[in-house]
Amino acid sequence: MKSVFLTGVGGHGVLKLSGILAEAALTAGFDVRKSEIHGMSQRGGSVVSQVRYGNRVHSPLIPAGTADALISLELLEALRALPCLRRDGILLVNEQHISPAPLGRHRVPYPENVRELCEDRVETVVFVPAHEMARDLGNEKAANVVMAGAFSTFAPEISVEVWVHTIEAAFRPEHRELNLHAFRAGQYFTATD
Amino acid sequence: MRKLLSGNEAIAQGAREAGVLFASAYPGTPSTEILETIARQGDIRVQWAPNEKVAYEVACGVALGGGRALVAMKHVGVNVAADPLFSSSYSGVNGGLVLVSADDPAMHSSQNEQDNRHLARAAKIPVLEPSDSQEAKDFVRMAFDISEELDTPVMLRVTTRICHSMSPVVLDADAVYRRKPIRPYRRRMSKNVLLPAHARRRHEVVEVRLRRLAQLGESARELNRIHWGDRTIGIVTSGIAYQYVREAVPHASILKLGLTYPLPADLVREFAAGVDELYVVEELDPFLEGEIRALGLRPAGKEVFPLTGELDPDKVAAVFGIDLGGDGAEAVDEQLPVRPPVLCAGCGHRAAFYTLSKMGLVVTGDIGCYTLGTLPPLLAMDSCMCMGASVGMAQGMEIALGTAADERRVVGVIGDSTFIHSGITGLINMVYNGGASTLLILDNGTTAMTGHQDHPGTGVTASGEKTHRLDFAALCRAIGVRRVRETDPYDMDRLEAVLNEELAADEPSVIICRAPCRLVERVPLGHPAEMEIDCPGCGVCLELGCPAIEELDGRSVIDPAVCTGCGLCAQICPFCGLKVDTIRRDPVTA
Repeated sequence: MKSVFLTGVGGHGVLKLSGILAEAALTAGFDVRKSEIHGMSQRGGSVVSQVRYGNRVHSPLIPAGTADALISLELLEALRALPCLRRDGILLVNEQHISPAPLGRHRVPYPENVRELCEDRVETVVFVPAHEMARDLGNEKAANVVMAGAFSTFAPEISVEVWVHTIEAAFRPEHRELNLHAFRAGQYFTATD
Repeated sequence: MRKLLSGNEAIAQGAREAGVLFASAYPGTPSTEILETIARQGDIRVQWAPNEKVAYEVACGVALGGGRALVAMKHVGVNVAADPLFSSSYSGVNGGLVLVSADDPAMHSSQNEQDNRHLARAAKIPVLEPSDSQEAKDFVRMAFDISEELDTPVMLRVTTRICHSMSPVVLDADAVYRRKPIRPYRRRMSKNVLLPAHARRRHEVVEVRLRRLAQLGESARELNRIHWGDRTIGIVTSGIAYQYVREAVPHASILKLGLTYPLPADLVREFAAGVDELYVVEELDPFLEGEIRALGLRPAGKEVFPLTGELDPDKVAAVFGIDLGGDGAEAVDEQLPVRPPVLCAGCGHRAAFYTLSKMGLVVTGDIGCYTLGTLPPLLAMDSCMCMGASVGMAQGMEIALGTAADERRVVGVIGDSTFIHSGITGLINMVYNGGASTLLILDNGTTAMTGHQDHPGTGVTASGEKTHRLDFAALCRAIGVRRVRETDPYDMDRLEAVLNEELAADEPSVIICRAPCRLVERVPLGHPAEMEIDCPGCGVCLELGCPAIEELDGRSVIDPAVCTGCGLCAQICPFCGLKVDTIRRDPVTA
């Protein structure tokens, strides 16, 4: 069984990404569980989702410290979610910095050394400039699909054909091309990293 | 065909397969997507009701008339619907009637974590608890069959982790919607007119029905079943907790209950006799545990499992001393900035709460996006209890505080959908009983927090048809409020002046602040704010808590991609360094 923890900021496509991963795993023939908390997902709060797939999955929630991969669409949110990930797991982080909304004048500063903090704690860490990559392709909103591509090279149990089919089915015709490019860009990034 | 469905989508699919005629709901997390999905499918007649009581009553009428009806709500909604629920238990149904109660352990989006199995028991109706999406779909069909066979409303009790988790569901690829034929209706006063003389006889019927339901639970293997495993540990469980048990204690013997009330006593006794140690694993209250203890058995339950919050595989494993192999990355030592949800850039609520906070008023609040006005830096709310409470509580606070030595001014704040839900009666009370409070109706033209559902004030139905649009000002006047004002909240000086006038008036007043939700009406309010001077970093604009303003190196910086040009920051900048060209504003009059 594989457990993937996904995190990010509301409105930036975490749930779309976890949906694509769950659908791809189902199409690849696995049993799948996906969980999410989305009560306020459009209001800029932290959003997490969990996807588990394998021959038989029971709990939609991943036991602490057992996630095989953590995909974060934002730097700070990666730090927050670290304890869910196995030390020898795979951490994929979109190198985007999104400041939390100001909560008045006295605020906890945004951590500066996210990269070192992650690399000190997890064996395999890949920072992906998914935001820039997606923007270069035409729409920064496709950063989540760049991350799907980056994850795909660590998930040989799901074939490229299945990913492509899932992404085609997940977007309206006018957005398909862009998202397939985004997926391939992410895939290329980690394959050659 | 296998399809990934959330629990809510699966319930909608179950309703379709059960040939339901009618479905109704009031939006509430985690239940909202049930009716949204049914509406999207387009087969079943759907309604957003003004509140859960009305939703239940219309469904109850459909059922009495012979059609199948499903009504969905969050756990606290069942409190609102409790009156017709309890009575309909006595009358019974005709066509099937299924109430979906979506409970929220851990309070992801709720004010309490009540366990609604208690309400079903108090109403003496059966409870079904699915443990994944497949069961959610299948149990809806079974619930309708039970409802009609045993002439009872049925509660399908789900929780957030069922509603919002996805798992594969086997679907019949060419299943078409076939409406269940309407059962013949005839007037049965002794059953459906609950006069005391009739109701006394009906209560006898209800008790007999409960015994029949318990018998059903003994034999219905698709609902209640034993998996024999290692007989040293026997676990009775239901709902999502069953999945955690399967993950954490895979070797144990399990009695999985799908029909959790009334309890199948013989099945429980058989299971208990077959194992060395008996446990009950359930979220929230010791509901099954109490029922099992009443049989004279002594299971371990809430003495070892938590009473509050959600369960998870770790909490279950810990009790049995099982290691799930967790070897997680170390948490970082430094404190990380929190990222709570915030009012969106350009949200009209921000203007209202900034003004209320500045004026130092006592604010009785209500339930919706605007509850976020409680969070720093706005810190503008004194209370938030339940849907509609702001109105009655404003009057009550005024009675107490008006008597106190340091008299303080009170204002109630409520959203459009919440006002329709249960604020109206509070306002009637205020007029009738001589109150003089001021009520602010923040009308953003949608039920925003739950994901933008229509309501009677939007003039659009759940199926997207145009309908009569409730006129808030006319309604308030008809109730007897003579001072009804409408003002543009983005003009904060004006809002403050209006508030001062209305608070001074010795009679009830209503101020309607109309500002369409920014997530619905995405047209910018103006050009993004621009900094015209070298920002001295006084931080006043940061007190708005606007996600478009960030403090960088001691200066405020506006993110033009996020800014909607609402102009609030320019109104409060003491150095007049912020400039906003407003290009659009709703025409409103004060």
